[in-house]
Parts: sequence; C-alpha cells; structure tokens
Amino acid sequence: MKSDLTERYIYAVTKKLPYKTREDVARELRTLIDDMLKERCGDMMPTDKDVKVVLTELGTPTELYEQYAGDGKRCLIGPNYYNTYLFVLKLVLICETVGLTVAAIVSAVVNGQDFIWYQAIMQWVGMLFSGAISAFGFVTALFAFFEYKEISLDTNSSFDDLPPVPKKEETISKGESIFGIAISVIFLVVFLICPEIFMCGVVDGKMVPIFSTQVIRNTWYILFVFSALGITGEVVKLLDGKYTKRVMLTTVITDVLSAICAVWWLSNKNIINPEFASRVGALFEGDSAFLANMFANFQYFFMGVILFALLLDCVVTFVKWMKYSVEK
Amino acid sequence: MNIDEVVSGLILELRRGTLILLVLNQLQEPKYGYNLVKELQEHGIPIEANTLYPLMRRLETQGLLASEWDTAEAKPRKYYKITQDGEQVLQKVKENWKTFSANVNQLLEPEVE
Repeated sequence: MKSDLTERYIYAVTKKLPYKTREDVARELRTLIDDMLKERCGDMMPTDKDVKVVLTELGTPTELYEQYAGDGKRCLIGPNYYNTYLFVLKLVLICETVGLTVAAIVSAVVNGQDFIWYQAIMQWVGMLFSGAISAFGFVTALFAFFEYKEISLDTNSSFDDLPPVPKKEETISKGESIFGIAISVIFLVVFLICPEIFMCGVVDGKMVPIFSTQVIRNTWYILFVFSALGITGEVVKLLDGKYTKRVMLTTVITDVLSAICAVWWLSNKNIINPEFASRVGALFEGDSAFLANMFANFQYFFMGVILFALLLDCVVTFVKWMKYSVEK
Repeated sequence: MNIDEVVSGLILELRRGTLILLVLNQLQEPKYGYNLVKELQEHGIPIEANTLYPLMRRLETQGLLASEWDTAEAKPRKYYKITQDGEQVLQKVKENWKTFSANVNQLLEPEVE
C-alpha cells in the first residue's frame, strides 16, 4: 500500500514537531513525496519499491525530523549552566552519601543490641538510592528553572555592558557556597535519618535524644523545603560569584521562606523529646533559673538561633550588595 | 585521518551559507520547494529536498521568506517568496559574496591575474 507507507513516514517525521507546524509540514511533505514519485514513475502506478526508494532519498524519519527541528533550544540545561550543574550535582550527591553513611553508623551504634547487620546494610543501600534520586531530581529541576528563566540574557550585549572585574572582597568565594550546600544536605540527611545523633549527656550516664524522632520524620517535607531553599540560595551565589541584585533578592526571599519554615516546624510542641525537656530542665533547677528555662523551652531557643542566623545572612548580603553593586 | 570524511565535512560547511544566498536569490519569484530543488540541480547545485524544505521553513521564521498555500490545483502546494527584509539581506550578502569569492579565488589561483 503506497499511501499507507507514506502516511506512516510523514507521521513519524512530524509527531515530535511543535503542534502548530505539524499539519503544515505534513501537507508539504505529502505533495513533495507525490512529486518525487511522479518524477520517478511518470504515469505508471508507483510500486511499494518506488515509495521506499523515494523515502530513502529523503532520509530516515529521525534524520528528517532533526532537519526540521534544527538546532534551536532543545536542551534542559544548556552550556551556560552545565558545568555548575555538574559541580553542584556531584557535591550534593557526595554530601548525601557521606551524611547517610554517618547517619547509618550512628543509628547502628545507638540501636546497640537490636542491630542486625544485613538489615542495616540493606536499609543503607535503599536510603542511598532513594536519596540519590531525590537529590538528582531536585538539582536538575533547579537548574532547568534557571535555564528557562535565562534564555534571552545574553542577547545584545556590547563591550560597554561587560561588568567590571570584581575586586577580591566583592566576590563570593566558591568555598563558602560549597560549605553552605554541604551543610544543607547533611542537615537534611541527619535530621531525617537519625535525629538521635543530637544527644545530650545526663547525670546517670544515660543519653537522652533532644528531638522526638517520630515527629521529625512526620514533618520531613518542611525540612526538605528548608534545605532546598538553602541550596537554591547557594547555587545562585555560585553562579554569579559576587553580590549581584539577583544574589541579594534570592538570599532575602529564601531566607524569609526559610524563617517561615523554621517557625512552622519548631512551633510544634512535640518536636522536642519530652524526656529531654523534663530531665535536663530538672538538672539545672537549683543552679540557674536561666539555663533551666532555656532547656525547658529548648525549641524556642533553637528557633531563635535559626532566625538570628537567617536575619544575619540577610543583612550581611544586603549590606554587601549596597556597598559593592549599587554605588555605580 | 579519513581524508574523504574531512573533505565532505568541509564542503558541507562551505555550502551551508551559500545555499541560503542562492535560495533567497532564486525566490525573487514565488516557487514551491520541489520546483526550487530541480531548478538548483539544473544549475549544477545539488541540493536534497530534505535540506531545502526545512531550510525554507527556517528562513520563513526569520522573516526572510513568506509563504502561501495554493490549493487551486489538484495537489496543494506551498509557494515561498522573498520578503522585503529578505531582499535587503540578499543585496547586502550578494555584494559581500562577490568581493569575498573574488578575493578567495585570487589567493587560490594567483597565476590567473
């Protein structure tokens, strides 16, 4: 069947083209193939073989599709971002692996006698795998978003538009961002896998965990968002390398959102192990009312520390931006 | 080194830009794709339909060509014609090509003074 093969060929070429041009290209190709067959066979009825020869001349459907698709934007993460993307991806994966491994060892030690080694190893491998997938997904989505927002940034740039070479103190060191990303990833991993790691020695020699493991695991999404915000901010710093307006805005926005997450997360009374609050509180009862109070309301103390750190980050970034970027 | 491969790669690169120039030049009169393929082939410029069709479409998106469907005949045909912008581009590139190719030829065959 001549028409059947032609139609299948045209369908294969056009199916991946943008919707708007699909029908138009198909119509044009139909006439073209017909013309080519006419030329080959004259008034004779073209055979199956003729159709195949003509289609071979046009190339495989994939080849022809490539021609139509051209070299327009057909990538998720382009050359502008690719190197940084790979770098951050590797960093996050390494931190995730290290964090998970440390977490696994700590849980093994803490769990003591209940420890079954093959189960622990299976669990560890499973966590590494699912952790790697979420890390990969998050980093890729983040950079795909940057790529998408930045498509037309490089057009029309003249020599006069080139930014001045930043002085040493204006730049944001790569190490700072790497450290920030590493901390975010390790924080997330440790809190999700073994919040028991935050221990507090108590007089009778027994260790009491600060946080309630179960409550923390149930609120994993807040922790995830918190870390994701931190990583996003650091990646923007890594990309720009100095205190640009973009860095300032991203920092302020991610810090505000992180603060909301922190308040939301730590307002939950149950997050602190009740045993910890009462025992440690009691420990200081006689000596210092301040310390007793601090440990009794440990989560608010913790919240305060986080909010202060976020505020400090905001202010420092804003001031540096004012100082290094605005004056010109 | 595969000489043939390098040669065909270079020739492909040389042809790419010149083909656009020729397509713009030949489309000062409206033509449909296959018509243009035949015309160029007759003048010793081999071009495959699978190169020309996507190329014309790209030039249309760039605003150098305009197209119109002719459905009056038995087979619907898409006719392409150069636009005013295309004309301007063509004139400039043509001038450039003339001096450039003359200079290239002079260097390649200096004895033909």
